[in-house]
Amino acid sequence: MFLIPFTHHRPVSLDEVFETLAKHGDDAAVYAGGTELLLALKARVLRYEHLIDLKRVKELSGIRIEGEELVIGALATHHQIANNDLVQAHVPAYAALSEEIANIRVRAAGTLAGNLAFAEPHSDPPSLLSAMDATLILVSSGGKRGVPMREFILSDFTTAREENELIAEIRIPVTAAGEGFAYRKFGHLERPAVGASAGCVMRGGKPSYRLWFGAIGDRPLHAKEIEDAIAGVPAASLPEALPKVARDFASGISTASDLHGSADYKQHLASVLIQRALAAACEAAQSRGAANA
Amino acid sequence: MSSRAPVTPSDYIDKVTGRTEYITDVEVPGMVHGKILRSPHPHAVIKSIDASAALEMPGVIAVLTGADVSALNNHWGLYLKDRPVIAIDRVRYVGEPVAMVAADDERIAEEALEAISVDYEPIPFVTDAAEAIEASAPLVHETHDTVKDFYFKGEAKPVAGTNIFQHYNYEHGDVEKAFAQADRCFEAKYEFPMVFHYAMEPHCVIASFDSGGLTVWSCGQSPTAVQKVLSRVFGMPLARIRIISPNVGGGFGGKASVKIDPLVAALAWKTHRPVRVCLSISESMLTARRLSASIRVKTGVRNDGAILAKSVSVLMNGGAYADTGPAVAVKAANRAIGPYRIPNLKLESTAAYTNTVPGAAFRSIGGPQAVWASESQMDEIAEALGLDPLEFRNRNLLRRGEHVRPDLRPIDVEMGEAMDIATREMAQLRASDSGSETHRGTALGISDPGIMAVSSVLLRLKIDGSVAVVSNSVEIGQGVREVLRRLAAEQLKQPVDAVEVLTPDTAIAPFDWGTGASRSSLMMGLAIADAAADIRRQIAEIAAIVLEVDPQSVELCEGGIAIGNRKKTFSELLHAYFGIDSGELVSIGRVSPHSNAGKLTQAPLFWETAAGQCAVAVDEDTGEISVRHYVSVADVGRVVNRAAAEGQDEGATIMGLGHTLSEELVYQDGQPVNATMIDYHVPTIDEVPENFVTVLIESGTGPGPGGMRGMGEGAILPVAPAVANALAEGYGIRIRKLPLTPERVWRAIRERKER
Repeated sequence: MFLIPFTHHRPVSLDEVFETLAKHGDDAAVYAGGTELLLALKARVLRYEHLIDLKRVKELSGIRIEGEELVIGALATHHQIANNDLVQAHVPAYAALSEEIANIRVRAAGTLAGNLAFAEPHSDPPSLLSAMDATLILVSSGGKRGVPMREFILSDFTTAREENELIAEIRIPVTAAGEGFAYRKFGHLERPAVGASAGCVMRGGKPSYRLWFGAIGDRPLHAKEIEDAIAGVPAASLPEALPKVARDFASGISTASDLHGSADYKQHLASVLIQRALAAACEAAQSRGAANA
Repeated sequence: MSSRAPVTPSDYIDKVTGRTEYITDVEVPGMVHGKILRSPHPHAVIKSIDASAALEMPGVIAVLTGADVSALNNHWGLYLKDRPVIAIDRVRYVGEPVAMVAADDERIAEEALEAISVDYEPIPFVTDAAEAIEASAPLVHETHDTVKDFYFKGEAKPVAGTNIFQHYNYEHGDVEKAFAQADRCFEAKYEFPMVFHYAMEPHCVIASFDSGGLTVWSCGQSPTAVQKVLSRVFGMPLARIRIISPNVGGGFGGKASVKIDPLVAALAWKTHRPVRVCLSISESMLTARRLSASIRVKTGVRNDGAILAKSVSVLMNGGAYADTGPAVAVKAANRAIGPYRIPNLKLESTAAYTNTVPGAAFRSIGGPQAVWASESQMDEIAEALGLDPLEFRNRNLLRRGEHVRPDLRPIDVEMGEAMDIATREMAQLRASDSGSETHRGTALGISDPGIMAVSSVLLRLKIDGSVAVVSNSVEIGQGVREVLRRLAAEQLKQPVDAVEVLTPDTAIAPFDWGTGASRSSLMMGLAIADAAADIRRQIAEIAAIVLEVDPQSVELCEGGIAIGNRKKTFSELLHAYFGIDSGELVSIGRVSPHSNAGKLTQAPLFWETAAGQCAVAVDEDTGEISVRHYVSVADVGRVVNRAAAEGQDEGATIMGLGHTLSEELVYQDGQPVNATMIDYHVPTIDEVPENFVTVLIESGTGPGPGGMRGMGEGAILPVAPAVANALAEGYGIRIRKLPLTPERVWRAIRERKER
């Protein structure tokens, strides 16, 4: 279907964005890539009289390193992120994830910030950004605040962002020496049925792990029980230690049967994918340690 | 294989540079735009429709509803006159057109749809074919109004008071007796899903009434069928209805026979303005789909592997309107026979109405459904008998000239040759594959194309030696125009560049039954040969008059004629004949069942066949199948346009990977729940096998010019059973339900491990 007629705003500064937002309130929505919003508007699931295009707002652009964090501006597309030297060097697992999001048309137009703000559950980035403990910087006319990725998505299509706030940037801790992350997903439709993200962090010779699931529920799911069960277990021993706890945890994940698969199949996938993701994360941690040694 | 240098077909550059004109690009003066309001209910009585608010909207010109079409012959159909031009009093599936708005632009028309209120009273519905044939099932249609020989030969055999709109039986030998004598009998049921054609261009039609009659720019694959149906609906003579067929962005049967043309024409009729309607891809998904099928096959064999008897029982889900379903049901039974000697054979097929999207023709109608069942079972039997599946097939394979059915034309290809080539090519591919282990699966498909041998073409030889081919064969991406161009050049001995193939237009192009069933190259080829013979006759007669030579001595040559060493250009000859250096010769070529000394009367005209072999690897933890290599082999008689012919073969195979791996239109509570291109997965380049080999055997044994036969559909037949057979061979699982989704594969592997 066609878009319902709307007024298009093209502000060039955040101040101008907030002015426009304040003026039109609930009738306005901001967008950058539009890959999610336009589909919803065309399907008439959402209706806005005012669309605010953020693409000219310079404060929201760019990808840079600040201290120990990689900062991804809200306007960065998946394609830009995947092919950015800083991302590839400092958070390689996220660059790899970004290269596999949807298809090239979505990656070329869609932004990470837009993806997170939309909070479609069948999405790749949130679980890995949670495992990496990324922070979202939200701005409004009243100032800015940081919200951990882990707390940002509340449920499907619902986030901690207030109506008058924008995601300005996503700050991802740089993957340090001895750390490795990986994301594995599976699905036979356009979007992933299940995603699994794993981190392997070596501190003082002792490994700890970070494990998160995506897509299988309505928000990223922290596999804390698995983390606790395998804390301190050396990577080489994971093939013995991990499968049972992964299976036990996965079989308890609350999920529904749908087009992506039956509940028990998705639970099984979760168990398979978290094992694969963690193996890859450990391998990445090892090679990263070696590279920086 | 041919040694001819590859020639780039003339239409490729225009297509890849976006210059090719499709209907969506056509602008007719005064044209307005139509949008369709569709039923949200699977089955409901329309109590009232209030369009007053829509009509008051600026830019809205008219609203068409069932009440408007009472003045027309408002039900149509090629087998059963079951389909209203637009829903009248009742809707029978989610997506059925209920009202239509004509407006100044598409946006206004779409906005106006939301202002139309329809009061429905939902009534019991049925979406499953097995439930639809139960006595307690709600009737989708109370009566069955069949038409005989209307456009298809014969008529459907519905069962009064039921949802069955077609029933078909065939038998030779004594199946029950043979089963009793067999060492072993195998019986199983195989399920094939509803799948969508996914032509890249959705349905698009422009209709315009004026003092000259009705002109339609149609995406239909059968312009003369569209013409005939519109003639009946509007009570107009055929000669006042003109169908123009620009390039069409894919058909695959989804635009065969007649689809949205009557609906669009009715809105133009009401509006008194030219009306353009272009569907979205989601709307096309609600317009036509392949008939899903449940096929029970029982086969009796001797322990040495000889097949003694086979019984096939097909149940097809035909959707809310019969469309070409009656033909599909017959073919689904026939195409389950396979290229094997079967002394005792029984076929039964039933197609039922349900409250779902109308089932329709789709690349090799009924074929993939049938071959899925029969070729899966062939491997099951071989395994049970301890025979190699190729050897088991070989022991039963028909040789060229043997009968599939005594009443049908004997098989005209050597399937053993095709199977051997496939095996050889696959062995090479696998030998050069250093990746993880793969497992091989094989299947053979044969189909009896449902070709009506009714075609004609005009050839117009201009005085400068250029030639226009005037035909109703629709360019739907298959490359038919280039084939006709080359065949006309060949028959008239003129350079290919001298020949133009015109856009089909029923006002000037003569009758042709349609573009489908792998028939156009062959039928038009025969018609062109006939027309070229007439041109040669005319030229010889003219030469006899003008040059006083023996007409028998006159031959065509490039740019003119030759009598021995003496040459004359067409211009020199015709200038002398007409008295002016202007003019043309026109000839008509005709094909009927009586052509070629009656050789075209026996069905099928030829056998369209394919041998497919795949090598697959499965991720046992996810159940994901990777089809790494594929070999497709077919005897097509002769290749006229190699790039397009190989493209057809590859395209048919990859399309087959769709129903094999992922495609299935899912209904829940009467609603199609995945009828969007996000939730319904069509194969992409990612699913194309790493290595794909097409071998087109040029045996020269087909009925067309140079021994060509039709092609374009066969390669879809073996794909699904070949992959399923590879799963059985490599992973010990037998899945009898398509698509082979990762979940189904994973579940089957898990069950095997638990056994």
